[in-house]
Amino acid sequence: MALLKLRESQIMKIHYLTAIAALFAVAVHILFRLIMPFGQSLAYPNVIANYHNIFYVLLLESILILISIHGFNGLRVILLELRQTPWWESTITILVLISMIGVIAYGTRTIVIAGGL
Amino acid sequence: MDSGREGIGGWLNPTRYGWERVSYWLQRLTGLGLLIYFIGHVYETSSLTNGINAWNSMLALTQTLGGHIFLLFVIGASTFHTVNGIRLIFTESGKGLGKPGRPDYPYKAASLNYKQKSGIWVAVLLACIAMLYGGMVLFGEGG
Repeated sequence: MALLKLRESQIMKIHYLTAIAALFAVAVHILFRLIMPFGQSLAYPNVIANYHNIFYVLLLESILILISIHGFNGLRVILLELRQTPWWESTITILVLISMIGVIAYGTRTIVIAGGL
Repeated sequence: MDSGREGIGGWLNPTRYGWERVSYWLQRLTGLGLLIYFIGHVYETSSLTNGINAWNSMLALTQTLGGHIFLLFVIGASTFHTVNGIRLIFTESGKGLGKPGRPDYPYKAASLNYKQKSGIWVAVLLACIAMLYGGMVLFGEGG
């Protein structure tokens, strides 16, 4: 697998770039909750209306992908600090990749279905 | 033979080290907490797909005093993790580490300097300010 063959320095560059990109994307996501009273912004019609805005949908999908990559790679880094053997490193990398893809797939499902409501 | 490996106990041990060590494990603990929150948030949001009643039921769980206090911790953790993370990106690219010098008594490492320490304190301070602002939004009118 090509992903397993990435050098650690390349993975850390991805880690930092996803962090910086997520910072801006999450800031816009939070601003959307603050353009009206917080409780009101979470009312069902308002939230569904957000999912009908293509730019907001793209923003949500970006946040989902960026934070999944950054978060699960961070978890991988922590777990690799605790133990270093080839079996452990490969197992953790594969498990983390599967979890990351699972969360992205589940979140994308919500975005697609809510967009059609 | 002692492998010298201390595991999670060594990871969490704040003694023998300075604020940089506290920042090291706070970065990891907030990161883990935020990953758990993120997965929970993705799951919580999926209730949208089951209609207005499912969404309102899920919202009722979070729109409580406990839910708001939990969100305040998320705000504080995410702000600290972000600001301290930016410090770490600069540090990893060699910025703010100081110049290497001869190790003279009392053997203070040039890399553990005021720039690094002030970066940690700025992260803590901004986390507190963000929590304060978050509290005003969550507990204020319309929160």
